[in-house]
Amino acid sequence: MAQRPPQIVAFGGGGFSMEAGNPLLDDYVLGLAGASRPKVCFLPTASGDADHYIVRFYRRFAAACEASHVSLFRRDRCGQAVEGDIAGHLLAQDLIYVGGGNVVSMLGAWRAHGLDAVLRRAWRKGVVLCGPSAGSLCWFAESLTAFHGEPRRVRGLGLLPFSNCVHYTNEPARRGEYHRFVGDGMRPGFAADDGAALHFRGEELHRAVSSRPHARAYRVEPVDDEVSETPVETEYLGQRVAEPAAA
Amino acid sequence: MGGGGFTMEPDNPVLDDFVLGLAAAREPRILFLPTASGDPAVQIAAFHDRFADRACVATHLSLFRLHGMRRPLREIVLEQDVVYIGGGSMRNLLAIWGAHGLDALLAEAWERGIVLAGLSAGAMCWFEGGITRSSGPPETIAGLGLLPGSLSVHADGEPERLPAYLEAVRTGALPGGWAADDGVGLLFEDTRYMRAVASRPGAGAVRVDALDGELVRARVEPELLGATPAGLPLPGGDVEELRALQRFRRRH
Repeated sequence: MAQRPPQIVAFGGGGFSMEAGNPLLDDYVLGLAGASRPKVCFLPTASGDADHYIVRFYRRFAAACEASHVSLFRRDRCGQAVEGDIAGHLLAQDLIYVGGGNVVSMLGAWRAHGLDAVLRRAWRKGVVLCGPSAGSLCWFAESLTAFHGEPRRVRGLGLLPFSNCVHYTNEPARRGEYHRFVGDGMRPGFAADDGAALHFRGEELHRAVSSRPHARAYRVEPVDDEVSETPVETEYLGQRVAEPAAA
Repeated sequence: MGGGGFTMEPDNPVLDDFVLGLAAAREPRILFLPTASGDPAVQIAAFHDRFADRACVATHLSLFRLHGMRRPLREIVLEQDVVYIGGGSMRNLLAIWGAHGLDALLAEAWERGIVLAGLSAGAMCWFEGGITRSSGPPETIAGLGLLPGSLSVHADGEPERLPAYLEAVRTGALPGGWAADDGVGLLFEDTRYMRAVASRPGAGAVRVDALDGELVRARVEPELLGATPAGLPLPGGDVEELRALQRFRRRH
């Protein structure tokens, strides 16, 4: 296999779990996997390995991919999840798809099972890493989560030396909090709307894409004493249709 | 509990009633933490089914799915009379609690006299250590250490766990402690073992210690919990109505 660059596609929200019937973001990450029948492994940890989520993953990917999932909650009862050499299995994938949910719970469980180190190795090896929401926040050095209680700063795996905010303009309170945190010393970073995805090659933002015509990604950073928000050119992955005239 | 309660004994409420009876309040607030299983809806529903019609205020706390809930965890935990921990993966349970700071909160709850209960992973977590199958095969794992000694669960229900426990105590990998069958509850006040109770005849526990590399085992005979305690008033119509309202609110 030719050496592949480390790649992460961080969704502000979207993919099979959030945009049923809109295949664009999932097709985009499959296109990066570079195999006619890519090996795709789902990590539903952030949802507590919710059954309905795992079922929807297989519904979406089983036909076109070698689909599997890793459960960290039911390792004593094998079922169809990967068992035994989880590290070896993850390192052999083309794409690792991390589901949404609670990023704090997910990172805690990952660290307890040593998956933080495994995912770093997979990334360096060229396994594409992607996911929405918690599946985006986790790759960054730090991020803002508003999942539970007051919005808080969460230390992620740090593969990407930035901060991250998801569901950005979809949840206006979150946008305000993110600006406040960046103003208070959280490192500069990237925000993405539902339907927008940040594609990194190595640690560099390679491009931003979207599954919805108006979804965007943004660069958020302190400039002098202010926090500046700069839209990143975001390429819509679907067919553009003529806009209906405003009523 | 070595196993038992509403998740494992849907038709036998005696252990859950015993737990509820330990709270001083007339209508104790009981909080369920299903963290060790990833907060599955089925387990949460079983909890509410068990406690909805009892003299208590039953709520659950999901560390995976309460998107948008703004109340601090500290406030939620410390207002309880009983905190009930579900079974599942002890490794995940402790890691996720640690990530949310719940380990320190539960220790504080315990010091304040809030009753802590649970089965399986939710029982072993209070001790210095136990035997988990979080990664498949049985292996030792450290707990929160509120209670001295170790605990192994499902002594009768999962035959591969007990030998691993005995070996761990013999070699000193775990301190001495108890191996409890399914259906057995061990009651501790402060850090002192008080007594054992059981929901089924024949279930028991073993106290296991190592003396100079040799195992010393002593059978613990639990008290069989049976008839419901006499003299408890049945909930009246208005209490029923309140409960129905609470159930409705939970669902909507």
